[in-house]
Amino acid sequence: METTEKYHFEVVRWFSVAAVIYLVVGTLVGVYVASELAWPFLNFDIPYLTFGRLRPLHTNAVIFAFGGCVLMATAYYVVQRTCAVKLWSNGLAWFTFWGWNLIIVGAVITLPLGLTQGKEYAELEWPIDIAIALVWVAYTVNFVMTIANRKSSHIYVANWFFLGMMIMITYLHVVNSLAIPVGMFKSYSIFSGVQDAMIQWWWGHNAVGFYLTAGFLGIMYYFVPKQANRPIFSYRLSVIHFWALMFGYVWLGAHHLQYTALPDWTGSLGAAVSLAMIIPSWGGAVNGMMTLSGAWDKLRTDYVLRFLIASLAFYAMSTFEGPVMSIKTVNALSHYTDWTIGHVHSGALGWVGMVAAGALYHLFTRLWKTEMYSPKLVNTHFWLATIGTVIYIVAMWISGIMQGLMWRDYDEFGTLTYTFAESVAAMHPYYAMRAVGGFLYMLGGVVMLYNVVMTIRQASTNPSASAEPARA
Amino acid sequence: MNSIEAYFHTDWAAMTHNDWIGLIMTVAAFIAMIAVYVYALHPSNREKLEAQRFIPLDDDRFDSEGKQ
Repeated sequence: METTEKYHFEVVRWFSVAAVIYLVVGTLVGVYVASELAWPFLNFDIPYLTFGRLRPLHTNAVIFAFGGCVLMATAYYVVQRTCAVKLWSNGLAWFTFWGWNLIIVGAVITLPLGLTQGKEYAELEWPIDIAIALVWVAYTVNFVMTIANRKSSHIYVANWFFLGMMIMITYLHVVNSLAIPVGMFKSYSIFSGVQDAMIQWWWGHNAVGFYLTAGFLGIMYYFVPKQANRPIFSYRLSVIHFWALMFGYVWLGAHHLQYTALPDWTGSLGAAVSLAMIIPSWGGAVNGMMTLSGAWDKLRTDYVLRFLIASLAFYAMSTFEGPVMSIKTVNALSHYTDWTIGHVHSGALGWVGMVAAGALYHLFTRLWKTEMYSPKLVNTHFWLATIGTVIYIVAMWISGIMQGLMWRDYDEFGTLTYTFAESVAAMHPYYAMRAVGGFLYMLGGVVMLYNVVMTIRQASTNPSASAEPARA
Repeated sequence: MNSIEAYFHTDWAAMTHNDWIGLIMTVAAFIAMIAVYVYALHPSNREKLEAQRFIPLDDDRFDSEGKQ
C-alpha cells in the first residue's frame, strides 16, 4: 500500500490505532485509581496496585501514550497534506513509532514497581527520559525537514502550532529532567528546594500549555475546517492566537506555587499572565466555533464535527476556569483540593480527548478510504464522553469547594471545625460519582475501539465498501 | 512615597545579571507581541493572510496528482 501512496501514511495509521488502544487502557487505569479512592479495599494490599503507583501510570498513559500517539499521527498527517510532500524520512517516522511505544512499555514496567523521580508528569527515570528526548528530537527533525521540503509557499498555521509544541517540549523536557544518576533506576534532580519546585511547574504547566494545548490546537486548526468543509473563520486571529500563546504560556507555571516559599511576585506574575491568556484562548475557541457560522445545522448530522466543536466549548471553559483559579484569593480555596482535579479533567477529557476523537474519526475514514462502520456508535461515543466528562467535573467541583471550605472553617475559639478525616469522609459520594463519570468516558473509548476495528475490517475485506457516513 | 510608588519602587542598583536578562526578555516579548498584533490586524495584510484560510480545503487536489 505504501509504495502506491503519494504520502507516507502507513505510520500515521499505526499511530492512530495505537492512540485508540491507549485511550481505552489509560482511562481504564484512571477508572481503577478513581475507584481505589472511593473504595480503598481495591488496593488489595498489593504494592503494585496502590494509588501512588498507578496514578502516574494513568497520567503517563493518557498524556504520553494516548496524547503522544494522537499528536504524532496528526502532525505527520497534517504536515504532509498541507505541504504537499511526503515525510522527509519514513524511516525516522517509524523510529519515532517504535521508540515512543518502547518508552510506554518502559513506563508500564517501571511505574508500578515504584521507580519514579517523583516529579509530576515527569516521573520516568533518567534512562527513559533520555529515550524520550531522542525520540522527540527525531519527531521534530522529521517535521521540520518535511516543512523545509514543502511544495507550498505558505506554512499553514496548524504546522506552526505543532512546531511550537515540538520546540518548547524539547526545551522543557530536557531542562526539567536534568538529574544526577546514582544507579540504573535512581537519580536526583540537579535542582533543589524552591528552584526545583519552580522548574517542575514551569515544565508542569507548559506540558499542559504546549503539549496538551498548542499541539491539539494544531489539530483543531486543520481538522475543524476539514471536517466542516469550510475555511477557518479568521486566519489573522489564528496568527495572533499562535504568537500570544507562544509568548504567554511560559510565564504561567508559578501560579501552581501560590503561598509557598517562592517569591510572592512570581505567583502574582503567573496569575496576571494567566488572566491575560484568556484573550488568545477565547480568540482561538471562537475562531474554531465560528468556522461553522452559517452552517450550524452540520452539527445535527455530523457526529465527528460534534466532537470537534464540543471540545472547543470545553477548551473555552477550562481556559477561563484556570486563570480564575490562579488568582490568589481563589487559589487559597481551590489549591490542594479536588477542584484542581476537576479543572484538569475538563481540559483533558473535554478538550484534549474530544478534539482527539474527532480528529481520529476523520483520519480513519481518510486513511482507510471508507466511512465509519457505525455512525450511531460515533454518536454513542460522543454522548458517553460528554455525559461522563460533565459528571466527572461536577463531582470534583462540589468535592473540591467543599474540601476547601471545610479545611478553612473554624469556630468561635479559633479551632478548626473539621478534622482532615471528616473532610475525607464527606468526599466519598463525590469520589464514587467521579468513578462513574470516568467509567462512562472509558466506555466511550471502548465503543470507539470496537467501531474502529470494525471499520478497518470492513475496509480490508471489501475496499470498495462504503457504509453510511458518520451522519444521522 | 505613596503606596503606588512604593509598590512599583525598584532598587536598580540591586539588579543582578539574571534580573537584567529577565527584564530585557520580558520587554522584548512585550514589544514583539505588539508587533504581531500590528502585523496581523493591519488592513493591508488582511487579504494576504486570509487567503491562507483555504489551505486545508485545497489539499485534496494533491490527491489527484500522479502517484509517486
